[in-house]
Amino acid sequence: MKTEENVRNIGISAHIDSGKTTLTERILFYTKRIHAIHDVKGKDGVGATMDSMELERERGITIASAATYCEWLTHEINIIDTPGHVDFTVEVERSLRVLDGAILVLCAVGGVQSQSITVDQQMKRYKIPSVAFINKCDRSGANPDRVISQLIKKLGHNAVAMQIPIGLEMNFEGVVDLITMKALYFDGDNGEIVRIENIPESLVSRAREKREMLIDKASIFSDELTEAVLEERNISDDVLIEAIRRGVLSRQLTPVLMGSAYKNKAVQPLLDAVVSLLPCPSDMVNEALTMDEKEEPVLLSSDSAKPTVALAFKLEDGPYGQLTYIRVYQGIISRGETIVNARTGKKVKVGRVIRMHADQMEDISAIPSGYIGALFGIDCASGDTFVSPGLNVTMTSMFIPDPVISLAIVPNDNKSQINMSRALGRFTKEDPTFKTYVDDETNETIIEGMGELHLEVYVERMKREYGADVTTGRPRVAYRETITKKAEFNYIHKKQTGGAGQYGRVAGYIEPIESNDFIFENKITGGSIPTQYIPACEKGFRQCMVKGPKLEFPITGVKVVINDGASHSVDSSDMAFQAAARGAFLEAYAKASPVINEPIMKVVVETPTEFQGAIMGLLNQRRGMIVGSQDEGHMTVIEAQVPLSEMFGFSTVLRSSSQGQAQFTMEFAIFKQVPQSIAEKITEEVAARKKNVA
Amino acid sequence: MNLLAKLKKKGTLIRLRDRYIHMLKNDLLFSHPLKHIRDEGEQLIPEEGGFGAVLSRAGVGKTAFLVQLALHAMLENKYVLHISLIDPVDKVTLWYKELFNGLGQHYKLAQVNQLWQTILPFRFIMTFRVSSFSIPKLQERLTDLSQQDIFKPEIIIIDGFQFDETALDFLSNLRALARTHGCRVWFSVHTHRHEDIQPDGMPARLSTLSDSFNLILKLEPAGSIIKIVPIKGIKSRDGGRPVYLDSSTMLISE
Repeated sequence: MKTEENVRNIGISAHIDSGKTTLTERILFYTKRIHAIHDVKGKDGVGATMDSMELERERGITIASAATYCEWLTHEINIIDTPGHVDFTVEVERSLRVLDGAILVLCAVGGVQSQSITVDQQMKRYKIPSVAFINKCDRSGANPDRVISQLIKKLGHNAVAMQIPIGLEMNFEGVVDLITMKALYFDGDNGEIVRIENIPESLVSRAREKREMLIDKASIFSDELTEAVLEERNISDDVLIEAIRRGVLSRQLTPVLMGSAYKNKAVQPLLDAVVSLLPCPSDMVNEALTMDEKEEPVLLSSDSAKPTVALAFKLEDGPYGQLTYIRVYQGIISRGETIVNARTGKKVKVGRVIRMHADQMEDISAIPSGYIGALFGIDCASGDTFVSPGLNVTMTSMFIPDPVISLAIVPNDNKSQINMSRALGRFTKEDPTFKTYVDDETNETIIEGMGELHLEVYVERMKREYGADVTTGRPRVAYRETITKKAEFNYIHKKQTGGAGQYGRVAGYIEPIESNDFIFENKITGGSIPTQYIPACEKGFRQCMVKGPKLEFPITGVKVVINDGASHSVDSSDMAFQAAARGAFLEAYAKASPVINEPIMKVVVETPTEFQGAIMGLLNQRRGMIVGSQDEGHMTVIEAQVPLSEMFGFSTVLRSSSQGQAQFTMEFAIFKQVPQSIAEKITEEVAARKKNVA
Repeated sequence: MNLLAKLKKKGTLIRLRDRYIHMLKNDLLFSHPLKHIRDEGEQLIPEEGGFGAVLSRAGVGKTAFLVQLALHAMLENKYVLHISLIDPVDKVTLWYKELFNGLGQHYKLAQVNQLWQTILPFRFIMTFRVSSFSIPKLQERLTDLSQQDIFKPEIIIIDGFQFDETALDFLSNLRALARTHGCRVWFSVHTHRHEDIQPDGMPARLSTLSDSFNLILKLEPAGSIIKIVPIKGIKSRDGGRPVYLDSSTMLISE
């Protein structure tokens, strides 16, 4: 293996139809991972993405796989799959955090479109340095200059061209490299021969002007370069590249390359840029969290001699069982070594350690710090952290929020039923925020998650990846019941009319608490309820929490205190006290002014400033409380708290109100009492549903 | 606004289920030391379109003081627009949350979260970059909010405004805007250690601006407390009982 400086863990970020598949294909070809180029079918039409998916499956490689390894010059490049959706799912977060850098692919014709904004926001959110690649320079209407100015204006990047095109559209021949000031042409059947020539006469002055611009923007990041400029010395390629690299690493400069992957032009210089400009693992700061309540960050050092910290970021079903993709952040994972799963505390012996080579795998002895590899025979969930024994840190937060939305799914045929079960088993392992169960009353399979989009993504994956054709019901919000005042109970459960008798009396009170927990407190003195029956009382009260008497939603935020009671020497039993506790709870609950709570989401909308007024109106109409708006030049970020029940279909409305340019993220914030009018509506809905079931 | 909502806003209609929260609010307002520097029911800044300023060096507690003024107003069901030119929305939110929790602990309030949820709708945070903050932009935002009936501020807090030679123009335009919307405006004013101070306590740099403010307060560190020194426009009650900021909690104390 090479040293860590020679490793690049990158993602290719692109919106649909900008040529991500073709570009990845060419990268794998030029790095000799595949030996022939196959075209994506239906490249101009809507079917292109689907075709590319088929192609991927057919050939058993790459973009759908979690990490594909290739080599360029003396460097190892791991291309990691970056999901295209922006929902705040644990899965997206995990995939993005293993990246050290990214290529942002833009279409020379379409420029910066709404989906480019989406993928760019992802990179910003996870502070991932990137280089931009303007693809499709051979297409009619290609205009790289316009795309660069859109990168600056629409995405707020400090973008600067590193190349200029030689010809455009049908006449696109190659590029001028503004660092070496040479013209690059791509010969051979597949553009594999790079021919270096002098810059064509007609482009010399434009190339000089653009190089000046490049030097000007890069000089901010290097004193050496600034001095060289001021003293009018010759600027060496290394000094210029180093300055640009510093700008890229600090995310203050985005170098722009251009070409046409489809026409096999200028992909090799992009690989050069990945190697020379994007960070190696030790350039990035990585943090783990301590496993106590505070979850304090701990800085990890990219040192193979230190104790191991590694993240399992993706699981894949392979012919030989579960393949666990892993990135090592500190220390080393070697075959035969014992590591600990930080979540479960279980010790695991490392068996086969492999590295993915497009469609094949290679056995290796160890994965050192900064590298990505895969393990066989490890039973774990996606997002688990593996550490050396004795180390108490985790790469992901251990607090998993409760799901806020559910959806009933019904398989359309027998085969789908089997596939659906397989898919659900896999998804629940991958994503702790995704849950599933079978409803006792309706016998439907219910999936639960953190948002509408979150569930949509899984239903789509079920169809695409597992061939499970399912019909979905209407999404349902996970309401909760709670009480708003203290109420007392004194309940006798008595059944002494024949057969084995039952007797138990419990007295005390219930009161609201601020947290969402259930607290049980025993204040019995003098043994009015014998100690052995106290756990039965607690169990009885806990049973009531599962389904509220009001609308059968779970009950939260209740403290139960028992302070008196009575028992019978023969007829009292665990069963009797459980029943007494249930009766006592029902008695007090009705008096404690029960209410329904609904999940309130923190919604963050990023929109071009001209639409901010309209979007605030949209949020307001949906019972949203706007927390604030943040002016960020051409963009405005609006933060609001909106009930989840009002957010269904919001993405469609948002798109139409902002010409498709605004996007939003949503995460659970708190549970809040629903207004009276809404509570009545919910009551009606629940009643109607019950009637249907009956 | 319908009659019920109007009565509720005025504080003359209290729903039975809100009674406890209403009592909490009243207790908090009654115990709050701000009562020593103003009459009950009166505003510190007497007129709509009036300006107040809180002066201090960096890091002394201007934002903490202004946030507490805002919290006090929110407890009185007044709508507060907090404009920050230095911090992002998240950080401003944190200021409010921390200081409110501090108040809750200090006055040993029960159900502090419930109270927090009831006063939150009275606050709106806007943040701008210093370079892009302007009267036309603010005007546009305020119109957007009021026309759609989203938020109608009664108090505006502007934190981080740079007072320079163009400030006089800005203040006079802002005054007109504030009058139109019926708002009172509070500013934080950053002073420097080396600055010459005028006899009225204002830094010489701002001497031309002092007439623009109806009320000026200065924060002065003195040991473990931060004195709140009235420079202009404060009527002291209770025989001038001093009010200060406790430097450990940053709460207004007496």
